[in-house]
Amino acid sequence: MCVGVLLLAGCGRTQNALAPKSHQARDIASLFWWMMGGAWIGLGIVVALLLLSWLRRKRRGWGSDNEGDKPGERLGWFVVVGGGIVLPIIVVSTVFIVGDLFVIRTTQAPASSSTSLAIRVIGHQWWWEARYPGTAAVTANEIHIPVHQRVRVEVQSADVIHSFWAPELNRKMDAIPGRTNVVELTADVAGHYRGDCAEFCGVQHAHMGLVVVAQPEAAFRRWLARQARPAAAPSSADAQRGERLFMNGLCSSCHAIRGTDAQGYVGPDLTHVASRNTLGALTVLNTPETLAAWIRDAQHLKPGNQMPAFPLGPTRIRELTAYLEELK
Amino acid sequence: MTDYAAVASQPVSKPAAWWGMIILIAAEATLFGAFVGTYYYLRFNTVAWPPDGIPRPDVVVPLILLGVLVLSSVPMQIASRAARAGRLARTRLSLVVALVLQSGYFAYEVHDFRDQLHRFDITRDAYTSIYYTLLGADHGHVLLGILFNFWLLWKLARGLTTYRVNAVQAVTWYWHAVNVLTVVVIGTLLSARA
Amino acid sequence: MAIATPPSPAAAETMERLERMWQSRPGVLGWLTTTDHKRIGLLYFWTTLVLFGAGGIEALLIRTQLIAPNQDLVSPSTYDELFTLHGMTMIFFFIIPMTTGAFGNYLLPLMIGARDMAFPRMNALSYWIFLASAIFLYTSLFMGMAPNAGWFDYVPLANRQFNPGSNIDFYCLGIIFNSIASMLTAGQFIVTMFKSRAPGMSFNRMPLFCWAQLAAAFGLLFALPALSADTIFLFLDRNVGTHFFDPSRGGETLLWQHLFWIFGHPEVYILIVPAFGIATSIIPAFTQRRLVAFPLVAIAEILVVFIGFGVWAHHMFATGLPTITLVFFAAATALVVIPSTIQVFAWCMSFVLGLARFKTPLLFIAGFIFMFVTGGLTGIMFIAIPFDQQVTDTYFVVAHFHYIIFGAAVFPIFGGMYYWFPKVTGKLYFELPGQISFWVLFAGTNLLFFPMHIVGLLGMPRRVYTYPDGIGWTAYNLAETIGGYLTLVGILLLLGNLVVSFFRGEPAGPDPWHGPTLEWTISSPPPEYNFAVVPKVTSPYPNWDAADREADRRHLDAGLLVLQRGHEQPAVTPVDARFAEIVEMPHESPWPIVLAFTLSLVFVMLVIHKYGAAGIMGVLCLLALLGWHSKEPQES
Ligand code: HEA
Ligand code: HEA
Ligand code: HEC
Ligand code: CUA
Ligand SMILES: [Cu+2]
Repeated sequence: MCVGVLLLAGCGRTQNALAPKSHQARDIASLFWWMMGGAWIGLGIVVALLLLSWLRRKRRGWGSDNEGDKPGERLGWFVVVGGGIVLPIIVVSTVFIVGDLFVIRTTQAPASSSTSLAIRVIGHQWWWEARYPGTAAVTANEIHIPVHQRVRVEVQSADVIHSFWAPELNRKMDAIPGRTNVVELTADVAGHYRGDCAEFCGVQHAHMGLVVVAQPEAAFRRWLARQARPAAAPSSADAQRGERLFMNGLCSSCHAIRGTDAQGYVGPDLTHVASRNTLGALTVLNTPETLAAWIRDAQHLKPGNQMPAFPLGPTRIRELTAYLEELK
Repeated sequence: MTDYAAVASQPVSKPAAWWGMIILIAAEATLFGAFVGTYYYLRFNTVAWPPDGIPRPDVVVPLILLGVLVLSSVPMQIASRAARAGRLARTRLSLVVALVLQSGYFAYEVHDFRDQLHRFDITRDAYTSIYYTLLGADHGHVLLGILFNFWLLWKLARGLTTYRVNAVQAVTWYWHAVNVLTVVVIGTLLSARA
Repeated sequence: MAIATPPSPAAAETMERLERMWQSRPGVLGWLTTTDHKRIGLLYFWTTLVLFGAGGIEALLIRTQLIAPNQDLVSPSTYDELFTLHGMTMIFFFIIPMTTGAFGNYLLPLMIGARDMAFPRMNALSYWIFLASAIFLYTSLFMGMAPNAGWFDYVPLANRQFNPGSNIDFYCLGIIFNSIASMLTAGQFIVTMFKSRAPGMSFNRMPLFCWAQLAAAFGLLFALPALSADTIFLFLDRNVGTHFFDPSRGGETLLWQHLFWIFGHPEVYILIVPAFGIATSIIPAFTQRRLVAFPLVAIAEILVVFIGFGVWAHHMFATGLPTITLVFFAAATALVVIPSTIQVFAWCMSFVLGLARFKTPLLFIAGFIFMFVTGGLTGIMFIAIPFDQQVTDTYFVVAHFHYIIFGAAVFPIFGGMYYWFPKVTGKLYFELPGQISFWVLFAGTNLLFFPMHIVGLLGMPRRVYTYPDGIGWTAYNLAETIGGYLTLVGILLLLGNLVVSFFRGEPAGPDPWHGPTLEWTISSPPPEYNFAVVPKVTSPYPNWDAADREADRRHLDAGLLVLQRGHEQPAVTPVDARFAEIVEMPHESPWPIVLAFTLSLVFVMLVIHKYGAAGIMGVLCLLALLGWHSKEPQES
């Protein structure tokens, strides 16, 4: 149900490796098309041989060589050596040279400091934390990048192995505990690019989506500046009660809200949660209703995720929601 | 050759039992290969090896013991020769000699193993983990060999048969293999000094 | 041709004597204590077929869950257990034991002209251990603790911290337990092929089926220890508190992956090569022509396994290993393609140059070639590292290996089931239903697995218990699920056909296909002593050497080369198969099943963490071994 809504929200519509939006993804896609063409030819050759044998099945004379003559053995050897040794050597070395000597370069991870912007993406069970080194900005599951700019993404993990993948932008990269892997993102056109965690990482591996938002330089700067700011103090009375609730350990034990004394690190940073399009790593669209629903029973929306359900009365929920809704 | 039954069956090639033992040894060697590979893999991904706070393995005693164990290959070989020559007493004697050496080695190693555990625990870090795993696996094989030899002596108490000759031969090969493995294992562990 | 009907009264008498001598105990007891490779083969066959059913039912549950977006037929955690068990069952408990344990056991001795395996009791032991390990693994399912971290079970997800409960302990112990059985099978296959071939069957005269089994056996022998080491480390990390895989204490997360795939990649060739062997037995029979380029194919069968040991890191292209490492392994992977292409073209040319009779078995082989080539070609695409990193861990990979595994390993198994059915049962199967079952299976599997390529490229990751609507995956998943059920129909047709044929089929006679190898020279089903006389062998197609078969009958008449003083069979020199000695084969024995039982007690104690008790059970195993060796073969 949720994604139906996501579409309206203009979130990533697809994560199609063959709809490239960057030169890396484009190189890989065209590499694929060429290889697929070749594959059909290879398959064609073999099918042709099988069909030929079917056509010749009825003929007389040959066959039944119980006394040892092997009709056409020389021809056989010729084809086996030609098709089984020479042809594949040509084919695989072409694939190897094009793929592993050239395309591998154009899609490579950028050397450190070769890019103007670096982002640290940290996989958690089951959501993505995104940090922008040099700024205070911390967000979750939504990674903003400036369009037309080479961005160096450092992929890490806080618990198990995940894999960071935005198919329309570049090849995937595992997030492995104790390591930092690097991948480059460069979007040619502004837009929302859907991605997923590709390495199995536990019960909610299925709901560990992410979206890369490529926007014009200026817009990106504005966004980053806003994300870097600490949370504004709640204005409405509801929100203020909500804040107190949040802070007395109920939520602050797991969540951080910069500018308050909520410093938890189990769950996503909520400083600007209201500015995000989705909740729970693309599980649901972020609206006051879904937010309330999430707080009431995150386990219902995303069974098995690390955030417990809270037996809170409707007023409490309303207050918490009011508070979080103000965190634009 | 028309009827095999006519042919007196004296083996002109190694018996199946021997091949069986070779297969077992190959598998064991591969397993230890994986262990040793792991040892170096972990080592080259770690800065301090052994990690600080862990005594470097001492050389003298292990090497002497190793010598003792490897020495036991000689009486084993003699035993298998004697067995094939049908010389029962000699087979028994050299088996006993080998058994003494091997048990001596084993007894000391076990004792050493236990007081090392007191000094640094297997749960300390990756180094201790692979260290004790390698040693333990090797000791296990020595123990098995010792049991084999007791079994042989027990069998030989009732004379020689082709079956038992083959058995002595196979166990001898097992021991040669275990001794080589032990050399590799101890060598690997001592390499932490270098 | 065949010596099914005794050529003379004298011969008849000899054959009766052999019959009596080799006769096995009647009833269940006979099966429990049997050391007859044919019975053990059948036990393996039925057990692995049931396990195939289990793995298939898991697969269909997976497919039903994925039939549409946001379904909740099974809970997320159950789904994880399903695909993990599915993968483990199909790889460790179906394909390997089916191709080696069932087909290998039943056919090897028949093809090399032996009366039994070199170590019949060890053979029995391997079956009982296999059975115990299967039961062991499946009890975990009923205790709700089935392995749940995928068949390659990556750490740290598989470690205590993220996976409390016994699920992964069952994984580790189940795998080790099962490996013991495979090791025993592999070991004694090798010795059998070295020592027990009929005198005269030098290696260059050994049928390609046996070459394949030999390659697979060596593969298992050198691949499984890596996995054992890996699972031992994991068990220790989980239960003793070691730190093999813990980066914070000097361990390495990737160590698990390296060791797993050092086993894992050879494994995939190990499970395909015996299928090649089946193909290379069926093709000559149904084209009535010796296989094209025999020596090249034999070498290729060995090479594919051998090179397969040097390519493991192609499963780790996305882990961020140094580029140079990746490129090296990509090159090795490119190399491993060639033995396969050699064989494919050798098969195809045999089709063309021979006189192809498209009966059911050959249809399955044709289908196998088609599916193998398709899967192999996507395999080649993975050699391009950037592309692999795009599609790894998506359904594109799932498509690759199902095409190869189902198409190239299971199709030959089905073809083999039809091909040897007359030999095993003495009945002919029904041809038309057979061909229908093939076409249903062919359509089903392609409908099932082809869309996986597309949906993978559309970005669907594997191992997701559900998927969102509206990003273009829905239709393909529906198609796959329909294909899954079509596959089920096809399999049930196939099994149904064989069951009915078993009761209603025409008697087959010893040699319905005019097959090339020795099993077709004896009556169907084969007598318990297999061969009345030690067969004369001068080529890899002995049943087509009429002169030699004549010689056999003469020997039988004259009572020569009969070996009737006990469970006797000749042993030969390993390479050129000159006669070496006459060996006395052991009779039925209760010890294998006893030892397997005590061994399973060890594993039960381990999984409930009663290590002391496990030690005691270990002592029981040693006692069982003593009993095993208490009785010696009498001197001849
Ligand atoms: C039966 C088992 C089997 C076999 C035989 C193969 C065969 C091959 N496999 Fe496959 N593979 C698996 C089972 C198998 N695979 C499994 C189970 C996995 C996934 C494990 C997991 O992740 O769960 C996997 C995954 C896998 C990967 C990792 C993908 C990933 O996870 O990112 C790679 C990468 O290189 C790969 C490559 C290959 C190659 C190059 C071959 C080659 O050997 C193929 C060679 C065959 C041919 C090429 C066909 C012959 C073609 C012709 C004759 C036509 C003419 C051809 C030319 C002109 C070139 N395989
Ligand atoms: C031999 C290997 C093998 C075989 C044959 C199959 C066969 C099938 N596989 Fe499997 N598969 C794997 C090996 C195999 N698979 C592996 C290794 C994985 C990876 C697991 C992981 O990610 O960890 C996998 C993963 C996998 C997935 C991905 C799961 C995920 O990533 O979320 C899917 C999804 O559709 C799937 C489906 C199927 C289907 C529908 C079949 C069908 O073809 C099954 C058809 C069979 C039947 C329908 C059974 C019928 C038989 C009987 C009825 C016999 C009964 C007889 C008696 C009881 C006597 N498989
Ligand atoms: C035990 C730790 C824990 C506690 C306590 C907790 N959360 Fe969470 N929360 C999480 C985790 C983990 C996630 C990420 C879940 C996921 O996406 O898998 C999360 C996600 C969220 C999100 C969605 C954030 C996003 O961008 O996806 C919101 C909003 C949220 N929590 C609010 C709250 C509120 C309000 C409370 C208090 C009533 C609370 N949480 C208490 C752990 C916790
Ligand atoms: Cu994180 Cu899958
Ligand atoms: Cu592989």
